[in-house]
Amino acid sequence: MPQRPTSSLAACVWIPLFPLRCEEARREGLATHPTALLAPDLSRKLWQVSPLARHTGVRPGMTVSQAIGLCPTLRLCEPDPVHYDERFARLLAALNEVSPVVEPGELGLAYVGGDGLEGIYGTPEKIVEAIECVVRGTWCVRLGWGQGKFVSWVAASRAKPGESVIIPAGGEGQFLAAQPIAVLPLDPDTHRRLRQLGIRTLGALAALPEEAVTAQFGAVGRKLWRLAAGHTVEPVVGAVAPEPIVAALTFFTPVGERDLIARAIDQLIARALKDPRRIGWRVQAVRLVAEVEGGRSWLADILLKDPTADGARIAAPIRTRLEQAPPAGAVTRLVLEFTAFAPGTTELQLFARDDVAAARAGQQHPLESAAREIQQRLKRSCLYHVIEVQPWSRLPERRYALIDFEP
Amino acid sequence: MVAPARTPLRADRLRAVNVPHPVAVECDAEDRPRTVGDVMVETVLESWRIDDEWWRQSITRCYHEVILDGGKRVVLFEDVATGEWFAQMP
Repeated sequence: MPQRPTSSLAACVWIPLFPLRCEEARREGLATHPTALLAPDLSRKLWQVSPLARHTGVRPGMTVSQAIGLCPTLRLCEPDPVHYDERFARLLAALNEVSPVVEPGELGLAYVGGDGLEGIYGTPEKIVEAIECVVRGTWCVRLGWGQGKFVSWVAASRAKPGESVIIPAGGEGQFLAAQPIAVLPLDPDTHRRLRQLGIRTLGALAALPEEAVTAQFGAVGRKLWRLAAGHTVEPVVGAVAPEPIVAALTFFTPVGERDLIARAIDQLIARALKDPRRIGWRVQAVRLVAEVEGGRSWLADILLKDPTADGARIAAPIRTRLEQAPPAGAVTRLVLEFTAFAPGTTELQLFARDDVAAARAGQQHPLESAAREIQQRLKRSCLYHVIEVQPWSRLPERRYALIDFEP
Repeated sequence: MVAPARTPLRADRLRAVNVPHPVAVECDAEDRPRTVGDVMVETVLESWRIDDEWWRQSITRCYHEVILDGGKRVVLFEDVATGEWFAQMP
């Protein structure tokens, strides 16, 4: 598999409330009114709330009736996840013009690798300016620059809309020390416990001995301490150019029956699995886009916990999503996309197209099959594991032993 | 070196690695190996002694790392308790 490009210098590009901003961008005048976006599921609760609406007391998670009760002039928008996704993809493509190393975070958050860009643009200020140039006019972004993703994210979160915060090399410790602990990736319980201990800033956390924090909070505590102390420099990891596999189906007449839609999805999965580019890869992420009557869209982004090349296992979570949150109308077109893959497949790659594909297919499964075959033929195992017995022994024959390899 | 997670360890299925095997050794006047089988010892590189497990059945070995005629490197030891000689991988 090609190695993914990385960069320790990072610029964080953050557009808070990205989906809401997408709606404001395509509907004139929306930005001047209190606005809320409904959740993409069937809960009919609020997902994102504009600052104007928030000012009247409206909060995400409220029901529509609660929100209207608080703010009668609230404008509600139906979500269009496909549109947001397309806009975000365009943003990433624009950032790619500045740096080849771009890592997407959640919607509206992306990291741009800065290693080597000094030679092209010059100082960090100039690099940040170049990033602003490609997104300016479309988005009002907050930009942060620093060593590693965490520092750049904290810097972006401190920046005002349309501005940037640059943390010079060596200044990370001083910058982080003054930041509130809320910038750490904390669960509510850890946040509460830290506050109960009187720890309000990263500086206060970093001032504690690492061992003491680890003893109190375990591995999570150690991770948090290292972030707070600026010891963790998480690099930006760019994506290897994706090679998604797409299968699409257009219905002659719009289809509303779920059974028919499910069957069509099965067909699309089978067709996509047969694509020769899939050989040697298991599917990890699937995206299903349904174009719905009336110009609306429906999107299901599925991340498979266990990557698979089995059609039924790929279809199962999509069917569940279809049951729980079906498209809000008859479907005119379905587009299935395998967007991410994991190397290796559980099938033996006897007919892999080349040695690279065979290597991708993973080593473990063929090895286990081969070991089983040898055992069946010779009635005994001829493969062994070397295990440690007394590795400290001064007598060489006591240190290691062989044990049958049993797959 | 990874212990096989799914394989239960049973003493009867373990095979020791690097087990010493007996060899015929003749020594010189200083009790240093002179021949191993029919092959002459060219050089004795190093000699050392191991005293172990004195708390149960004491194991005492005198090791010699030698170069045989022809250039082969061998590690030999004499079991002091029995006077027998063995070869073992270094």
